[in-house]
Amino acid sequence: MAAPNKSSVKIAPGAVVCDECELIGDITIGARTVIHPKARIIAEAGPVIIGEFNIIEELVHITNRFPDGAEGKKNSQVMVIGNNNVFEVGAQIESTKVGDHNVIESKAFVGPQVELTSGCIIGAACHVTTGEKLPENTVIYGAKCHRRIQRERPPAQNLQIDFLTKILPNYHYLKKVSKAQSPPK
Amino acid sequence: MTSLTKMATFMDVNLVRYLCTCGKRLPPCRLYLCRHCLKLRCADCVQHEVDSPYCPNCLENMPASEAKLKKNRCSNCFDCPICGHTLMTRATSQMVPSSEDPSKSTPKKMYYMACSFCRWTTRDGGLADQSTSNGGWKDEENPEAKRINTLLESYRSIAQREKAEKERKKYVKRRSHAGFQDRYGLTSVAMKWKIQPAMSNLSVKETEKVPPAPELVSPVEDFDPLPSEIFSDIVQLDKVTYLSHRLNAPEFQPPATKDLRPVHKHLLVRRSLRCRECDHNLSKPDFNPLSIKFKIQLIALNHIPEIRIMAPATFSVNKETVVTFTLSNPSVYSTVVKLLPIEGDTDLDYMTAKVDLPKSDLVLALHDDTAVYDDGTKAQQEFKDDPRVVVFRRANKLGFAAKVTPFCKEGEVKVSFMMKHEFRNTAAAIQSEDKEPKLEWLEHRIFINLGRIQL
Repeated sequence: MAAPNKSSVKIAPGAVVCDECELIGDITIGARTVIHPKARIIAEAGPVIIGEFNIIEELVHITNRFPDGAEGKKNSQVMVIGNNNVFEVGAQIESTKVGDHNVIESKAFVGPQVELTSGCIIGAACHVTTGEKLPENTVIYGAKCHRRIQRERPPAQNLQIDFLTKILPNYHYLKKVSKAQSPPK
Repeated sequence: MTSLTKMATFMDVNLVRYLCTCGKRLPPCRLYLCRHCLKLRCADCVQHEVDSPYCPNCLENMPASEAKLKKNRCSNCFDCPICGHTLMTRATSQMVPSSEDPSKSTPKKMYYMACSFCRWTTRDGGLADQSTSNGGWKDEENPEAKRINTLLESYRSIAQREKAEKERKKYVKRRSHAGFQDRYGLTSVAMKWKIQPAMSNLSVKETEKVPPAPELVSPVEDFDPLPSEIFSDIVQLDKVTYLSHRLNAPEFQPPATKDLRPVHKHLLVRRSLRCRECDHNLSKPDFNPLSIKFKIQLIALNHIPEIRIMAPATFSVNKETVVTFTLSNPSVYSTVVKLLPIEGDTDLDYMTAKVDLPKSDLVLALHDDTAVYDDGTKAQQEFKDDPRVVVFRRANKLGFAAKVTPFCKEGEVKVSFMMKHEFRNTAAAIQSEDKEPKLEWLEHRIFINLGRIQL
């Protein structure tokens, strides 16, 4: 991968993106999204678009990997992450379609073939690599990756986002918010 | 590696094992030392006593009779019916029509329970939120409760009757005996006996009334045929419970996930251990389940020197290898340890190598809690050690070298020897009011698994 191209990272106003996180490639970050230091977002095979009100914690790897048989082809796929998602410490996401209100718990892995709809919870250390679209409100939990459907989707983490937006700038440098609606050059 | 050997007590506990008095070979952390018989005991050869059942979540303890009444479950704490994790109470606010003005609504705090692991909530089970934070969750009545109660009742009366019969048999025996006496003209005594059985018969008659037999359940002879949908409809696995979920609630065995209910948490038991020979306590926890302290805790690791393997070595057949063991002294007195070989025992099950042990006595320094703060220069001068035997010495610990020669061709290298050590019996000292605790010599057989032969 080429050296990080800062100009291709677009950060919407209101988002808190720590300078110590690693953003490589064409990445768009929506308003009010919080990205902790040491998180890693790599747009390898194409752009990564992250929505609003997401929390991306430390050591989370979000990778838009080249699909099989298309290595090296740039802009072959777009990775879209919706709103109100929580990626807990050490989660790895390669899924190109993530909906809203999902929780990816610590050390979980979501493979590139998986599509997360909304309200899904991938439990701590659960590896999901099947080629499927998870139905809404699916919960995957435990060492054996048991599944169940939840009645309600997990609540939005607005209070936590407010807290983080207040506290993170006290201890970390932030990446600068790009100018609103500036066309990429 | 150093961290590994340091942790050997906790990680590879089964490499060095001591022979318990009952014949089991166990690591010293699994053994107890009875201070009164001066013998090693293990969990299998001591008496376990129930101190009190308690809830592992709210730590409420109760007498055993009350626990039995509650079916050994906590009335306030619940487990998740899906994954068995403890359920947490969560608060939400709900809009409720206000009491003064029904057209307006006011927020009201409502509580439900949720599992933090699989995210099951009482709402998933279709249970309405509660207005109080602690419980108020109603248990569903067992559909078979009536039947169980009638069965219990009739069996109880049968048991009562059998007991009465047994007592009557005692009288019958005596009566025959009394008749015997009668032959010898002891009629007055016999008369007394005859009256008594008549009286006891009276009491028996009351219970003699045969209790009504429990109503028999007619066996199911035929079933309705399966509905045709069962073959055509797609199975929705997420709506069906697992076998484990059903067995969690044996009285309901819900087939659908929506019928799952929180499960009352099982109580645990706080127990104490007692030596079977001398009836002294070996382990007695504090009564309060909140406390992790013990009133009495005679774990062997705190009383007898512990042997560990210092570092792994490689072995080959009939080749001598020097292995370093460490010996540490848990006692507050300096301790002499003798290592003695076992002669004439060639059971290959636990001895596959010859071991040359140090012939001289090993003197272990006392265990001092403050020793960790010392730089360790002082202690070394006190002992005149043979450097060929004692490899190092630090605080209450020393390392000694032993030559191991495996005589098996393959498999594990196992050695066995006796360890004889001094033991100051502080318990006996308290009893006899002596100033100096009595010195005893204890002997333990040690089994060590050193690893596999290099092929």
